[in-house]
Amino acid sequence: MDLETLKQKMDEANYIYDDTLATVLYVALRLNRPLLIEGAAGVGKTEIAKVMAAALDRELVRMQCYEGLDESKSLYEWNYQKQLLSIQVNMGSRDSDELTRSLFSDEYLLERPLLKSIRSEKPVVLLIDEIDKSDEEFEAFLLELLSEMQVSIPEIGTIKATTVPFVVLTSNRARPISDALRRRCAYLYIEYPDAEKELAILRAKVPHIDERLAVEIVSAVQKLRGSEAILKKPSIAETLDWAEALHALGVRELTPEIMRTTVGFVLKNNEDIETMAETLFAEDHECCGDPENCAHAGEPGHHHHHHGA
Amino acid sequence: MALDYQVYLEKLALFGRILRQEGLDVSPNETADACRILLELGMADRAVVKTALRTVYAKSRDEQLRFDRVFDSFFLSEDAIRAVDKKHQQQELERAEALREAERELQGESPSLLYNDAQKEAYSQLSEQEKERLRNIKEKFLGDPARNPGLYSSMIHSIFARSIMEQQMSMEDAAMGRMAIDPEIGLMFRDISQFEDHEIPKAVMYIQDIARRINGELTQKRRHTGHTGALDFRRTIRKGLETGGRFYRLAYRRKRSRRKRLVVLCDVSGSMIQFSEFVLRFIQSLNQASESSRVFLFSEEMAEADAFHLQNMDLFRDYVRQSGVYGRGTDLGSALRKLNDMKPPVLSPAAMLLIISDAKTVNVPLAMQEVLRARARAGKVFWLNPIPEGKWKYLNSISTMAELCTMISCSTLEALGQACRKLAFL
Repeated sequence: MDLETLKQKMDEANYIYDDTLATVLYVALRLNRPLLIEGAAGVGKTEIAKVMAAALDRELVRMQCYEGLDESKSLYEWNYQKQLLSIQVNMGSRDSDELTRSLFSDEYLLERPLLKSIRSEKPVVLLIDEIDKSDEEFEAFLLELLSEMQVSIPEIGTIKATTVPFVVLTSNRARPISDALRRRCAYLYIEYPDAEKELAILRAKVPHIDERLAVEIVSAVQKLRGSEAILKKPSIAETLDWAEALHALGVRELTPEIMRTTVGFVLKNNEDIETMAETLFAEDHECCGDPENCAHAGEPGHHHHHHGA
Repeated sequence: MALDYQVYLEKLALFGRILRQEGLDVSPNETADACRILLELGMADRAVVKTALRTVYAKSRDEQLRFDRVFDSFFLSEDAIRAVDKKHQQQELERAEALREAERELQGESPSLLYNDAQKEAYSQLSEQEKERLRNIKEKFLGDPARNPGLYSSMIHSIFARSIMEQQMSMEDAAMGRMAIDPEIGLMFRDISQFEDHEIPKAVMYIQDIARRINGELTQKRRHTGHTGALDFRRTIRKGLETGGRFYRLAYRRKRSRRKRLVVLCDVSGSMIQFSEFVLRFIQSLNQASESSRVFLFSEEMAEADAFHLQNMDLFRDYVRQSGVYGRGTDLGSALRKLNDMKPPVLSPAAMLLIISDAKTVNVPLAMQEVLRARARAGKVFWLNPIPEGKWKYLNSISTMAELCTMISCSTLEALGQACRKLAFL
């Protein structure tokens, strides 16, 4: 697959991307390198794995990382109940060596995402989500898998990958990822999209939305993200949620009143909601210079500054 | 194809060497990868080449920024090469003209003085105000320079030396400012004392973030160091009773983790207060790093601060103002002497003394003497200095102090985080 074909496939998957992203994905794919994606929460890191699965027409195997994740939950586990039952059933059997051997065969092996992804007949896309939430031991264990594409199971031996999966790792930078793991990956950093790209995403994902409303939503979200005072920046998913909500409410225009009542879709903590009024409304009412006759006088969040004593 | 490969490989090997000088980990594997990908993509589209190489070589956001800079200066586009060449020629002409101009102005009045090229250049780059000042000095002391040209010129030369040094320092500042282009991590790489008020909440958030990480790493470290001690016979035998006298599980003596006592001596003079606030905040957040800590604030006087006043920045500022130590000059020597002489003693071998100061103090000899005394009493003496290490050589008091104790430069949040991690893991 060349770069143009990849772009074409991503177009077909209805995904909005820029040339940089396409090139990075192409490089990782050609070099068979895992792709480590970092960026703020909600910029669309996980989405990339899904799109790649769709574009390459592969199955997506997803593994969500968390503290305490270990080999038995990520790689394989023996089916103990079945093994015990088998022992009970075959108690009378003479050939005990044969019984022992059979207990550690494929029949009793429970495949977890990592093993599944390398033993799959067809290559898959393996998404290791939020690797920064896992422990350092798990990261070290991943090294063997990612660099050699093989894993060791003591009872069976080394299992080599039947097919090489396209691996995507994502991180929110909650803890630094070790250099050893970084070195084995291609790296991509995603920033929040600019207004133009975000509008394109909004149009693609919420096609039924009113054009004027879409522009207003994007400009409001961009303003919020640009403000230093907002601590938790709104993500793309939140923009989409907000747009859906406004559409469902039948809103045609984003007035300060509507914004106040629905802002919970984009801002998720109290301080941010309070500062929002200052960020957005201060500019919305620049035209209103007459406090006496202003239609918004008395509304919460709408202030007139009195100069002088 | 084979020839192409060779050419690419040579260029990329050189490029890799420069990246390594910039602190990126570049292995032969990466160069081979880069070569493979370039052979496929070709060199026609500069943006594609840049993205592809960045994907291969840069493994973090910080490395990406460094990569971009190296790439932009290594792989110039054809137009850029011409533009740079033209600009270079232009600059050479301007420089030569400026030197001639400076020579005319300088030699005009007192031909007996000799100036070298560096000094002429320094003069040509001075602001009009500075030139005026220099001319005034010359007129004032002109008397008869011919009579004692050595004395006269050494004074003029010292003025030049200062100007050259200031230029050097401002160039270093400009180089550090490059990180500021990325708003996401810019704050991490900027001088703490330059933070604007509206940036402080965000900076505090970063601090909490870094402190949480360090705390997490410390807990993990403790969790993993349980198995290496000597065998505990008594507990092993008792445990063995549970399994019918067989020593199925061995018990080990746990190494008792002894946390340090931390004594912080913190400079709160005018230039230092913002930096000190941040450092104290950091240390307070590191609840795992030390068993107990005592914080002393000083500028000319010294006073102890209690934990209550350190818990938030407003309280801290108010407290510092009320305590009466704020805003005067800095006298590290007498503050340290007071600390050394305190009864009951504050410093002991189990304590670690952390000095937070820019070392711009009066009475340097006294300060040196007291640092030495403190070093003999306390287990370890560390010094966190907000002045970037590159500038230490220009400031006598710092370079002297740096020889007496371990001095760590931490002008940015990033460096401060590194320094605190280092301290926490000691």
